[in-house]
Parts: sequence; C-alpha cells; structure tokens
Amino acid sequence: MLTAERIIVASSLVWAAALLTWQLLAAWGGGRKDYSARAGSSARGVLYNFTAAMSPARKEAARRHPFKFAVGMVMHLGVVVAVLKVVVLLIKPTAPPIAPIPLGGFLAFAAAATSFLFVRRFFSKNLRPISDFDDYFAAFAVAVYLGIGSLHELNVINAGTFLLVGAVVAFYIPLGKLRHVLFCPVARFDLGRRLGYRGTFPAGRAE
Amino acid sequence: MVIKKETIDLLRPEDDPQEATAAARAALREPLRDLAAYHMDACVKCGLCGETCHVYLTDPVPENLPAAKAAKVVRHFRRYHSAVGRLAPWLVGAKELTQSAFDEIVEAVYGRCTGCGRCGLNCSVGADVGAIIRTGRNVVAAAAEVPPNLQAVVDNQINTGNQMAITVEELKATAAWLSEDLQLETGDEDVRIHVDEPGKRVFYLVNPREVKFFPLSLSAAAGVFRAAGENWTMSSKFYDVTNYGLYSGDDPAAARITKQVMDEAARLEAEEVVLSECGHGFRSFRWEGPNWLGEEYPIRVRSILEVMLEYIEEGRIEIDPGKNVERVTLHDPCNLVRWGGVSEPQRKILAAVASDFVEMTPNREQNFCCGGGGGMLSMSEYGDRRVQSGAVKADQIRATGAKIIATPCHNCADQLLELNKKYSLGVEIQAVCELVFNALVIR
Repeated sequence: MLTAERIIVASSLVWAAALLTWQLLAAWGGGRKDYSARAGSSARGVLYNFTAAMSPARKEAARRHPFKFAVGMVMHLGVVVAVLKVVVLLIKPTAPPIAPIPLGGFLAFAAAATSFLFVRRFFSKNLRPISDFDDYFAAFAVAVYLGIGSLHELNVINAGTFLLVGAVVAFYIPLGKLRHVLFCPVARFDLGRRLGYRGTFPAGRAE
Repeated sequence: MVIKKETIDLLRPEDDPQEATAAARAALREPLRDLAAYHMDACVKCGLCGETCHVYLTDPVPENLPAAKAAKVVRHFRRYHSAVGRLAPWLVGAKELTQSAFDEIVEAVYGRCTGCGRCGLNCSVGADVGAIIRTGRNVVAAAAEVPPNLQAVVDNQINTGNQMAITVEELKATAAWLSEDLQLETGDEDVRIHVDEPGKRVFYLVNPREVKFFPLSLSAAAGVFRAAGENWTMSSKFYDVTNYGLYSGDDPAAARITKQVMDEAARLEAEEVVLSECGHGFRSFRWEGPNWLGEEYPIRVRSILEVMLEYIEEGRIEIDPGKNVERVTLHDPCNLVRWGGVSEPQRKILAAVASDFVEMTPNREQNFCCGGGGGMLSMSEYGDRRVQSGAVKADQIRATGAKIIATPCHNCADQLLELNKKYSLGVEIQAVCELVFNALVIR
C-alpha cells in the first residue's frame, strides 16, 4: 500500500510547508504601515495584478518571447498535474493512472520543455553568468520529476518511485529557487498592493 | 524603510571601512521589514526582462539584464539572511559583502539602472526589480560608497536647503526680476513670485534648476496661479522639490530633506504643499516622505498638474488651445506615472491647451525611461551610457512627428535637451505649465 513512500512524501510536504511559512512570516515582519495618503485601492491593485496584469498583452516580457513564455507555461502546468497525481496517490495509493495517454503524453511534453530550459541556461550568454548551482539543479529536478510522472502515468514505472522523486523535489522547495512557488504570488500581491494604493493599478490605458 | 524622526540626525555612515561594511550588512536586513525580500526570492532569472529595459535595449550585454543587476544585490542578501546562504553559499550563489564588492554593486545599481521600474511591471513572474535595486542603493549608502557626484547633491540639499546651493539672496533677486518680467509680459502689475509670505494657502516647491537656469517654468506657474486667483508663496530657504536621497538610497538623508521642507510648510502656515513638475520630487514628497518620517503629513501634498487641471475643470482659468498650434507629445516621467500614479491630469491638460496633442507609444505606466532618471544626470562618469540609453526615447519622439515635447519633470527635460542634440530631433522641450501659461486667455 506504499505506506513508507506515502509517509516520506507527506513528511517532505510538511517540511516544505513549514519552512515556507516560516520564511513568509520572517519576511512579513508584521507588515508595514503606509503613512502616505491613499490615492487608489490596494484591493483593486492586487486584483488587477493577479488578473489582467498577468496576460501577455500587458506583459512585455511574455509578448516579446512567446515561445519561451509558452515553454514556461507548459512546464508549470506539468508541475500542477504532477502534484495533483501525488495528492491522488496520497489519498488512494491503489488509484490507477488517471488518463495514461493524454496525461502521460502531456507530462512527457512538460519534461521536454523543462529540459529545454535547463539546456538553455547552459548556453544562453545572458543566463549563464547569473546562474548558480541552484538554478541548474532546480530545473534538472523538475525535469526528472515530470519525466518520472509521465512514465508512471504510462504505467512504465511504479507509484513508489514517482512518490519518492516527488519527496526529493518537495524537500528541496524551501531551500532554493523552487520556493518561488510561494514568493512569486506574494511578490505579485505586494506590488499590486503598493501600486494600487498609489493609483497606478489597475492600469490598462497605456498604448 | 521607516526612519523615526529621532534618528534623522544620526546621519553619515562611519569612516571606518569595517564599520561601514557592517552597516551595509545591516542595511541588507531592511528588506526583511519592507517585503523587498519577497521580490528577491521571486526572480527566477528567466532572462525575459532584457527588452523591457532601455539600458539593455541600447546595449544588450548580459550585465544590463535587469535580473543580472538584481542578482548583484540578492547574492549578498542571501549570504546573511537565508539559512542556505549561510550554510551552503555555493548552492545559491551567496557571496560575502566585502569592501571590494561595492564597486560591482555601484556599477549595477547606479551605473546601469535608473530604477525606473519598467522591468518589474513587465516581469513574467511579477518580481519588482526596482525594489531590489533600491535595496542595493540603501546598502551602498549605508557604507558611504555612493558615487561622489550624487552624494554631493544630497549634501547640498542638507547643508543649504537646495541641491544647487543657491543662496537666499540669489533666490530673492531671481524672484524679483522674474516678477518684473512677468508684469511686463502680462501687463498685470500685481503678478509676482511670492516669497516667504506666511498664511498663504499654497506652499509651492520648485526645482532649483528653474531658479538657476530655466526660469520660464517658474514664471509660467506664477502666471497660472495669478490667473486662477491662487493664494501662494515660496520659501527663500526650503523651496527645493527634489530629494536626491531617493536616488542615493540614503533614507535618513531623504527623511531629513523631507522634514526641513515640511517644517517650512508649517512655519509658513500653508494649507497645502504644491509640487512643481518633478517626477522623483513627486514620488519623494507625496509617497515616500511620510514613510521616511514614520508619520502622516498634517497637510495635503499635490502636484501642480493636479492643481492646474482643477483650475481648468472649475473654470478658474480660461484657455485657448489655438495658442499652441504645433504638434505636442508627452513624455511620462517614471517616478510620477509608474511610481506616483499620476498619469491622466497631464493628458487632460494637454488635450485642453494644445490643438494637436499626440501620444508616444508606449505611454503611461508602460513608458520608457528617458535615461536621465535615478540620479544619472548628476553622475558624469555614466554620461555616455546615459545618452546612449536615451536612444529608445529618441525613437519614440521621432515617431510622433511632434515639434514640442511636454514633460512634467526637470530631470527628464535636461536629458531630453541632450537627446534633442545628440539624435537631431529638432524639437522643443517644455514644461506642461509653460503650455498652460501660453494658452491662458487673460482679460
């Protein structure tokens, strides 16, 4: 019944959640009062920054690099699918693969996309100088995780192997760049809150 | 970063290099209290931010990538304020903050970045690179390593009350002859530059550059105030709308500059502080100032753009757009629009006072920096790079076919004057209030 594997992966998830929560609270420091007179709405700014501001139409970085942006999206969607598979296995270890061909194929595609980002980091003149071991390892770990997830969905390997690889990735989340899973939304919240307060957000009139 | 009033006088970092480095390490802790740490851990170094930056666009080397500039700060933050950075710095690229590291940080956060924030708004994951860069400037300022020419401007503001060290006598003399000129031009014997008159409703702050070199915008503002029947005054001592502490990263100095102006507003018993057209001055006094002081202002602070629009909408001034017939376009100062939230008043004003107003593309919060922000104009060592990075703005201007560039910022105006020459744009640069003054119908 995969008892040991489930305990290991659950422990890793608890570890990741605990450390991320601690990092969040340490950085939060109780928040900061803004003494300036409000001109807009922080709530509307946050809402905007989590909706319209995320569309490629408002994001030049995405608009100018549609292929790389799409590759990143595929990778992240793959991670969501793989995490959901772990959740399913934690709840019901005997659960059969959900949709072997479409999901297995998609996870293989996501693993290939992540591998592309991993290789690109080696060869890009811009990325190599700013990349650390963490940047390479995070991409490598996620590519392996997605690849193993694909093989499990296609019934090539057993669920235990998939869970153990997932446990390793989860253990690493709070230690390196994978913690952006938490800090990206928090940063987006913070910028939306500040620029909403000042009236810059919601934006959208710019041509 | 909140500076309590009682600490404002504890300025100037230590002369001892070791103590200075320790102060800089302590400054790295500040983000933990104002959430910039989140942005440091949000950047995934995807490298898609390059083309959002005017410096990178005009010199596409890896060092100009916004993520690369941010990384120069983040690696030191990680060394002291993350468990992995302390225990296994090689894993996350964490580095000791030593005296020799400052040269690299200075080059990245002052020499290659104007802090315009455009990359943050367009970041694929939402990391505010501008907040990280400013943290880098905080660190450098704490170690007293700010580029000397920029520091000299801050020192001038603290020691003399204005960034150009203009004396009280010089200011009063300038106000007197400007008043005479204005009276001759308008035929109105009562129009003048009011100085040190307590009890007026508006306390008006100007850029010392207006007093010293370009007085047209000051006399234009005086003319507009007069036409609107406004009750206003300047100070002969603390009238400077700029605050180079914002640029240097020296928050205690920025707080002190803010305090001397707000104290003057109280001394003059003004009901409102109105800021002349200045991007970073608006951001400093309107938004950052209360937080530097750690308290709310007792009176309102507005840009003259907001005030002039109110005059127009309330019918307090009459204007004729037929007096500005040349095509006009608008340059958006980053600190006023992106960081300040003021994007529409200047557009409504220009649409009202000019018969042919056209937008640049992109505009508003998506505008490109002209290259003169972030204190660049005071750091002559980066002069060539500054003018080179303005090529993006020059292309934008040329595409509009405009003959007049209106910009509500004197730093931007200085940079645009240089771009005008360097790129042979054949345009005239004006403040918005100059166009309003020109369009006034005076009966």
